[in-house]
Amino acid sequence: MTGPRFTGSRQVAIVGYAHSMVERHIDRPLGLLAIETVAQAITDAGLTLDQIDGFTTGSLFPSSGGRGVVDGEHMVTSDWLVEQLGVHPRWICGFQGIGQVVGAVSLAASAIATGAADYVVLHRALYNPPGRYHENPMTTAEGEAQWRAPQGYWGPISEIALPYMEYMQRYGVTREDMATVVVESRRAGSAIPWSVWHDKPLTVDEYLGARMISDPISMLDCDMPVSGVAAFVFTTADRAADLPHRPVYLAGFAQGRARPRNGIGFWDLDSIIDSGAQLADNLWRNSGLTLADVDLPQLYDGFSPFIYFWMEALGYCPKGEASRFVADGGLRPGTGKPFLSSGGAIGNGRMHGIPQMLECYLQLSRRAGERQLDGMEVGLMTQATPNFGGAALYTASKP
Amino acid sequence: MTAAGVSKPVPVADEVSEEFWKAAASHVLAIQRCDECGWFSYPPSLTCRGCRLPGRSFHYEPVSGRGRVKTWTVVREAFLPSWKDEIPYLVAVVELDEQEGLYLTAQIVGARPGDMAIGAPVEVVFEDLAEGISVPHFRLAGKRMGR
Repeated sequence: MTGPRFTGSRQVAIVGYAHSMVERHIDRPLGLLAIETVAQAITDAGLTLDQIDGFTTGSLFPSSGGRGVVDGEHMVTSDWLVEQLGVHPRWICGFQGIGQVVGAVSLAASAIATGAADYVVLHRALYNPPGRYHENPMTTAEGEAQWRAPQGYWGPISEIALPYMEYMQRYGVTREDMATVVVESRRAGSAIPWSVWHDKPLTVDEYLGARMISDPISMLDCDMPVSGVAAFVFTTADRAADLPHRPVYLAGFAQGRARPRNGIGFWDLDSIIDSGAQLADNLWRNSGLTLADVDLPQLYDGFSPFIYFWMEALGYCPKGEASRFVADGGLRPGTGKPFLSSGGAIGNGRMHGIPQMLECYLQLSRRAGERQLDGMEVGLMTQATPNFGGAALYTASKP
Repeated sequence: MTAAGVSKPVPVADEVSEEFWKAAASHVLAIQRCDECGWFSYPPSLTCRGCRLPGRSFHYEPVSGRGRVKTWTVVREAFLPSWKDEIPYLVAVVELDEQEGLYLTAQIVGARPGDMAIGAPVEVVFEDLAEGISVPHFRLAGKRMGR
């Protein structure tokens, strides 16, 4: 193993967090829940608001049910938060791309490592509007929509259905195979007190009987749209030593390709896996770690096929063999890894990368309570798709 | 063509796509092509993805309208309300015969889900959406449009 390419590897630490309940709909503005959650995270870190001099988030994909997007209502930017809190931090920056949480982590780490800020709050706020999440009443199709909407092709569910159909057809994978993954996510999620699926595990038959939305994606292959907020506090490894909780160190991160200009909304299966493998390669070189070092791989699952795609992109198994890897015990203790111990988005609700990051923090800081796993030293989180998402590695100890 | 009086979204041409929609109105599938290296781009591009050199000029060239199914989905919930009367319907990625990786996402008309297969040959058909506006869809080659 060679040393990390990142000079800042393990120089930045997470020192506290807070997470709201995840609910289908909330009865007060999202912004107020964000203010409350951020305050809890700062207290959890043993700090006060006046010590926080940096704020970041990734607020892409605000959902407003077809109405105009209002900051504080359908999304919460760091700018909104800072303005409402009446504070004047040295550094505010929002990540605009996909892989929002990893992107915001990369910004927070850069601010801490360069001294642009000493204590950074990273938050993520998700909102589920009343009505249908993706419905769009457009009557004219302009810009990129001109290549999709007149074909009846609209929204992320069909965008994922296309490469997943290619995957199933090419490798002979069935919904029975995928049932193992989704049932495990919901089993883990049912043990999470703040999850929208708390105490609501799923059976294989329920999964197989789920309503199909865009073949081969059923309702239960999608995460449930929810409202919720999470916040984390970052600082330097040196400052972290004086704070109440065991720090978790950021070893490295990598982001996928720029989301290609792609008016047709199609990414072919090979390009998804191959460019994800490049992302993984960058991740190992940036962090100085290898796949074999990872105890806690937390894979993004906004749609269930992403679990297969990430397993193959990261190199847990060759292309086309993820379902076999799972069938051979890949998800079980002893024979496999705790890929889905957080429950992920399928087991928690659509918190866009937060379940994976939170699980890395809780397990590596030894704060997972009854769910604590033994021997967790290196955690991996991924977000979005392997071709244009992101991944980050965390460690329980400094080098 | 409509559901509950809601019109399907009508494509609005822009400076780059104008000639595509003009050709479609005459039921011709014309794809943007680099004058220098001959690379086809769909949707039309500002830079050539073939030669990657700046300052290239393009023209629109009629293509065969033939291709193969790369993958597909059966849409069973209409996220565009105007498509409610059509569900379930098929959307496929079509790889045109002219160039490897030249993909279109398009509705497949006149076919049932069980008819679909990777590699199935398809050919273009046009739907007249409004006065002077037609949209290219595809059908399985050798089958008549049964709609």
